[in-house]
Amino acid sequence: MINGNVKPAEKFVVPIGPQHPALKEPGHFELTIDGETVTAASARLGYAHRGIEKGAESRSYVQTLYMMERVCGICSHIHGTAFSLVVEKLAGVEAPPRAQAIRVLVAELERIHSHLLWVGVGAHEAGFDALFMYSWRDREVVMDILEALTGNRVNYSANVLGGVKCDVTPEAAETILKGVDFLEERARQYLEVVQSDAMFLRRTRGVGTMTREEALTLGVVGPTARASGVTQDLRKDAPYAAYPDFPINVITETAGDLEARFIVRVKETIESCRIIREVLANLPEGELTTRMPRRVKEGEAIVRLEAPRGEVFYYVQSDGTDTAKRVKVRTPTIANMASVLHLSVGHQLADVPMILAGIDPCFSCNDRSVRLTSAHGNDVWTWEKLRQHGIEAYR
Amino acid sequence: MSTEERIAEARARLAPFTDAVEEAAPDRLNAPLPVEQLLPAAAALIEGQWSYLTTITGTDLGPEAGEFEVLYHFSSGALVTTVRVRIPRDEPAVPSVCGLIPAASFYERELMEMFGIVVEGTPNPDRLFLPDDWPVGVYPLRKDFDPSEATVVIEKDPAND
Repeated sequence: MINGNVKPAEKFVVPIGPQHPALKEPGHFELTIDGETVTAASARLGYAHRGIEKGAESRSYVQTLYMMERVCGICSHIHGTAFSLVVEKLAGVEAPPRAQAIRVLVAELERIHSHLLWVGVGAHEAGFDALFMYSWRDREVVMDILEALTGNRVNYSANVLGGVKCDVTPEAAETILKGVDFLEERARQYLEVVQSDAMFLRRTRGVGTMTREEALTLGVVGPTARASGVTQDLRKDAPYAAYPDFPINVITETAGDLEARFIVRVKETIESCRIIREVLANLPEGELTTRMPRRVKEGEAIVRLEAPRGEVFYYVQSDGTDTAKRVKVRTPTIANMASVLHLSVGHQLADVPMILAGIDPCFSCNDRSVRLTSAHGNDVWTWEKLRQHGIEAYR
Repeated sequence: MSTEERIAEARARLAPFTDAVEEAAPDRLNAPLPVEQLLPAAAALIEGQWSYLTTITGTDLGPEAGEFEVLYHFSSGALVTTVRVRIPRDEPAVPSVCGLIPAASFYERELMEMFGIVVEGTPNPDRLFLPDDWPVGVYPLRKDFDPSEATVVIEKDPAND
């Protein structure tokens, strides 16, 4: 130690975050280090906690759907779909086949957008900014498709309870196919890059290795688990929406390191392109929505969906009114976070941001959960007042 | 393994603890258990990595009912087996499952801060999501939670006026 006031036997704790520990989202990690090697790790989350589960207890199902889309800014569609499916299940309503197919279509477009975003973030963490800029440039193509289809680049709001809002016209299908061809070609290029760039491989090959056994013990989900050889994908294991009609190929790798996580995600991007083509070629005709009761029968239901980052779990309890009694959301990041703490131990401090980025963490998803305080004066802001303020401020 | 086979397997694994396992949906089992049976039942369900703990859901049955219900969701393929434990609201405690499932730590921390349920023996009892200045003894997911209890008033800084 430079100033000599830390004895060799003492533990040295490096706090990382809450300001963007790896990506531009908040989380706080405390890493105990010995020299450059991490010997213990702990996490403190919640910096983006918005009380969404509590908020759902005082909003109608229709209002909650709007809020659930905002659990995550990247995979918003999967949350809207999960909530729609779980409420439809409770109400005993099934969305029409065309709606279910469009849900799948948007979900796969979202997966491409999310995986490309992640390739960029991962590359940036490794110091490979050229890949970061190319992948984000290409991601604009899928963002444009999503905007053309739903009207929004993010928070597409494609779902309503009992169906979807947006339809696919033949012209739109043509635009999507063109975009998807371009994206697949680019993804194939990235697949080569992430396996051949010598500098990049120094940061990914053999780093953050997780065996299949560890992955199962840690309860890891999604591409992180599949990169360790766990054949688990809810689109196949428990197909929902239109996935029974559009079966997917589960992509797995066995190496379990960061390189494998890159390969799995890029290959999944290519697989998503295939599913999108299938859906567009076999889009069922018919209605987009079905009648949905305002009040939902008493009971409880669970849905599990495969988000870009892994399993999303929704549990909803209904008491027969138009408002849920309890809504529980388990997002994939929280399931994968334990693996970051586990894998960091024994690694170099400099590898930690890469390991964290390796699970494709989404802190907003993680935190979700309202506390209103004022930064302008000693008064308490109520929801109504906040809403009014919003209306006036943006008039 | 089909979902029907998984249901039979889950029932067999839970047989030593309860015969009250009910099929709540074609892909969902409910297993209400006394709290003492939680750990052995969880151990039976995850044995040989047959299933994994997806999450822990706390539910408040309300001050009148005087109970919390804690749901442990174990997934195996398409099947979710929910082990349901009821505990009194005035002395809410469950044992930690972290000894069996280390990854449950985050779920238990969330359960503790959101409901005020004591998770006995959990390795890290620190807050996970709630801010550091959140008042002690205020649990936001309880049904009788009053948001005004959790209001933190930020002092007006005259310099910024």
